[in-house]
Amino acid sequence: MTSTLLKGLRVVELCEVWAGPMAGSLLGDLGADVIKVESFPRNSMTRPLATVQPWPGEGPAFERSPIHHISNRNKRNIALNLRSEGGIEAMRRLLREADVFFEGYSAGTVEGLGFGWEVAHELNPNLIYLSLPGWGAKGPYQGYVTLGSGLDAAAGHTIVRGYPDRPVEDTQPIYHSDATGALAIVFAAVTALQQRERTGTGTFVDISQIEVLNWHLPALVADWAVNHRRQERVGNTDPLIVPHRCYRAAAGEAGEDSWVFVAAEDDAQWNALAGAVGHPEWAKRGHPWATITGRLAHRDEIDGALAEFVASGTAEEIADRLSSAGAIAAPAVAPWSLLSNPQLQARNWLQYVDHPYVGTQVFPGFLWEVEPDEPSWDRPSGLVGECNREVLADLGFSEAEIEDLYAQGAVGDRYG
Amino acid sequence: MTTNASTRPLAGRLIVEVGGSIPVAAAAKLFSDYGADVVKVEAPGGAPMRRIGPFPGDVPDLEVGAFHVALDTGKRSLTLDLASPSGLEVFDRLCEHADLVLLHTATSVAVELREGLRLLEHRPHVVVLTEHGLDGPFAERTENGTSLLAWTGRMRQHSLPDEEPLRYAPYVPEMQWAATAAAVANACLWSSEHGGEPREVEVSGVEAMTGSVDTWFVVWEFQGAEMPRAGGQSKAAYPAGCYRCSDGYVVFASANPPFFNRLCEAIGHPELITDERFLTPAEKALHFDEFFAILDPWLRERTRDEVFTYLQQYGVMVAPVLDVSEVVTDRQAVARGSFVEHALPTGGTTLLAGPPFHLDGGWDHGPAPRIGEHTDEVLRDLGYSTTERLALFRAAVTG
Repeated sequence: MTSTLLKGLRVVELCEVWAGPMAGSLLGDLGADVIKVESFPRNSMTRPLATVQPWPGEGPAFERSPIHHISNRNKRNIALNLRSEGGIEAMRRLLREADVFFEGYSAGTVEGLGFGWEVAHELNPNLIYLSLPGWGAKGPYQGYVTLGSGLDAAAGHTIVRGYPDRPVEDTQPIYHSDATGALAIVFAAVTALQQRERTGTGTFVDISQIEVLNWHLPALVADWAVNHRRQERVGNTDPLIVPHRCYRAAAGEAGEDSWVFVAAEDDAQWNALAGAVGHPEWAKRGHPWATITGRLAHRDEIDGALAEFVASGTAEEIADRLSSAGAIAAPAVAPWSLLSNPQLQARNWLQYVDHPYVGTQVFPGFLWEVEPDEPSWDRPSGLVGECNREVLADLGFSEAEIEDLYAQGAVGDRYG
Repeated sequence: MTTNASTRPLAGRLIVEVGGSIPVAAAAKLFSDYGADVVKVEAPGGAPMRRIGPFPGDVPDLEVGAFHVALDTGKRSLTLDLASPSGLEVFDRLCEHADLVLLHTATSVAVELREGLRLLEHRPHVVVLTEHGLDGPFAERTENGTSLLAWTGRMRQHSLPDEEPLRYAPYVPEMQWAATAAAVANACLWSSEHGGEPREVEVSGVEAMTGSVDTWFVVWEFQGAEMPRAGGQSKAAYPAGCYRCSDGYVVFASANPPFFNRLCEAIGHPELITDERFLTPAEKALHFDEFFAILDPWLRERTRDEVFTYLQQYGVMVAPVLDVSEVVTDRQAVARGSFVEHALPTGGTTLLAGPPFHLDGGWDHGPAPRIGEHTDEVLRDLGYSTTERLALFRAAVTG
């Protein structure tokens, strides 16, 4: 059984795609009873009706999408038509019994369905209600829609990434705001619960995922505020640290496209690096590269020398050699390299999980180790409506009423 | 925002922060900004994070580094030499009163400090941040944010094939690691209120990031192939990625219906919705150039902000690519108070990100402490006599 840190809490998740569902999984990892409410009959973006790629197993595509499996463990799934009378009643009962409710639709959507904060608070004055539209619940962009890539762009993250000598079109979209958003939801929910202990009443929490990402970029904001400087796209370069970039290796787990990131932030790390490369003299007094200022002045020559060294071996060997000596070095790993990473293996980090439709697959492990009650993967990604009957019965619906809800199309267990 | 300390959500909690790094300081900031009493234990020379800029006017100063100013808000600073038995004695006595200890030090030091905390009569929760974990063959390795990111696979995924893998913005990995540690640490505090026993938690930087959502391992595992790294604009599922307007860029994430359909309608080409070239993923992948030939001129005739606000009226997933000067003056940010002015100890002000979540009256941003500003106060609170405090200072155990 998973960790019991949040045991006893009932959480209702009404979210799609990544940030919200990941938060639900994390709360589930920590022991909360998380009920994921999925829309019905409309399928969510991560539950496609047809396979786009050859996904493992057989059966409905909406149960086999990797994007969906990433962030939906440790929850009980129920699929409700929130535009039907029966679905609305089930949702009202869920909210009445919940400690925490969080929703990730664009601002105003859930209110439009009749489950805004005022209604929910009246149903259950103890409820913690978190709303996490991309740009927040309030403000002139209310109702605007986005995915994580848009939030990274609008928070000023996208413009500072990328290759300095290439156009912005070549910068890959990233979805960092989904990762940061998920963690903010967990912290916010638990903070609000502690406030509830004090005040005896539930509260509304407005989370703007873009503000969460702003929080993660303090240097960017400070440089503008105090120096009126917009940071530029500099690739992997650090203006104060030499070396600080990736070099191409001869080969490695990632095949011909294998690279090693190498850095020496101070003289001790440089000394370790020079020794591991077989040139201890680079760090001896008098050598032009032995000092911080010397290395800043000779960035290109050092890059050339290290490029040559890294090209002499596989990415993994080179990284091991430099890193064991005390320098900073890491291969830019490909997805499959996680399977052979000796550290992750030694810590039994990867999780082998069985699922009714996709069979046994390997998943990344948990974000934290907790002693004495480790998180565990108690439930794989839930099937559509898998826990409809169980959850509805918990909410006081009789068997006949549940049959009726199915007959009305108020609940469902498949799409298309 | 000024709030009454006693009514804030985490008021009454004592959190001890050790290590002086960005991830541990950022994790502890979440607690201090929401009302906890955070004591930052610094080595006599000050936390290493104080050396990380930018600095106003590029003048290095341990009291005004961007990370110290932003991440040490509302904390108390205790200067203590943890390498000495006398320092450890003060540390243990402090932790006897703590609800939570956040540690990010060399692995061997973390193990030793944790051992000591196990012997306390009142054991706090202990959350240890490590790069790779406290055990295993990489346990002693030194990393920085970029090397951590390299280990997670994100650098490779978010760069072009056959070109140098790219990091995220500097220190973004450390900040995510911090948020990961803070989330579980806060769950520990909640558990204490409900009879939970003290926990020992490890948060490995590599695991924290590799296990989160924007990692593509599961996609590879399911599909047997990597997500294509075809550059900024996807040529298969589009529009997704950066597109040029007359004066800047927008990012689209509107490849899927209904977003694609809404876009076609909004740009005056509703016929594309039923055009066979764009109906199925397989067909669509063959016709990027034809679609681009329609969308590109439409975008080039309009400004970035026009494209953003006009297409959002149609429910198209599109966002402007902003630089920081535009981020802080964006009308949504201004209306919400997304950034707050914050006084610098040397005079003048800077900007900080406001609350990462809005909880009525819950958040504040107190000044970051000077090195050792609260040493004497904390030692008095712990019951050290005047002679003891002078002796500890004289021996450079405190500062």
